[in-house]
Amino acid sequence: MAHDWQPDFEQLVDEHQSMVFSLAWRMTGDRGLAEEIAQDVFMELDKHLSKIETPQHACFWLRRVAMSRSADALRRRRVRGMDLWVEIEERHGMRVEERVSPLGMRLEQLLSTLPEPQRAALVLRYQEEMTPEEIAAVLESPLATVKSHLQRGLKLLRSKANSYLKEYVRIKEQASGV
Amino acid sequence: MEEFEQELRQALERRPAPPSLKRKLMERRRGRKPQSHAVPWQRLAASLALAAVLGGAMAWEGHLREERRKGEAAREQVLIALRITSQALNRMNQQLAAHGRAQE
Repeated sequence: MAHDWQPDFEQLVDEHQSMVFSLAWRMTGDRGLAEEIAQDVFMELDKHLSKIETPQHACFWLRRVAMSRSADALRRRRVRGMDLWVEIEERHGMRVEERVSPLGMRLEQLLSTLPEPQRAALVLRYQEEMTPEEIAAVLESPLATVKSHLQRGLKLLRSKANSYLKEYVRIKEQASGV
Repeated sequence: MEEFEQELRQALERRPAPPSLKRKLMERRRGRKPQSHAVPWQRLAASLALAAVLGGAMAWEGHLREERRKGEAAREQVLIALRITSQALNRMNQQLAAHGRAQE
């Protein structure tokens, strides 16, 4: 029974901090700001804990508030995307290259240069594996708009990555002796 | 496109949150908790103060209304007294006039 479930704040933090932090980071491109946003999101969750009914509800609520808070922060800070992303990556000494391929890193950087609505749709689609219907619910946007953002965002990202992809494939072929 | 999407999916895997996030969060939460207990007391005190102000205002309004009513009653009495005095004076005047005419 859903009503038997009691939200445990600490457990929710353990389960979802990575999701909330990653959403905020990918939306703002600023690690420090993402941590602040994640803190604010969880503090707000704490205030609304009694209204959270199921684990799914908690997850949906956190995604929605994380995206909304990130959009607010972007509006305030007017973060300029890729340049800042690279700067922040270097400043915080993140070793993402250990886990992500060079192309993956490049895609992540290019993603931060996309218009905000397209970036939001792509992050929810490919980070959170959400369906367009679920994305529409989280972003409170019409389904057709979300589908359009996904298509356009993917197309734009691909075109931006195209030259890099060619170079990447060429280097890979050279390395494998093809 | 599918290969590209797969690459994107891998690139966008969730990043681990900094270890400081949970610690700071729990500290902020602990710091806020006493306030959240204090809130009902603050609300109660604010409600009592508001009720006292409203009660005082109503009592003052009642007091003013009573004063006004007393003033009106006193004014009415003065008017009655003036009317009686006026009637008495008129009567006396008429008697004096009648007396004067009788002497003539």
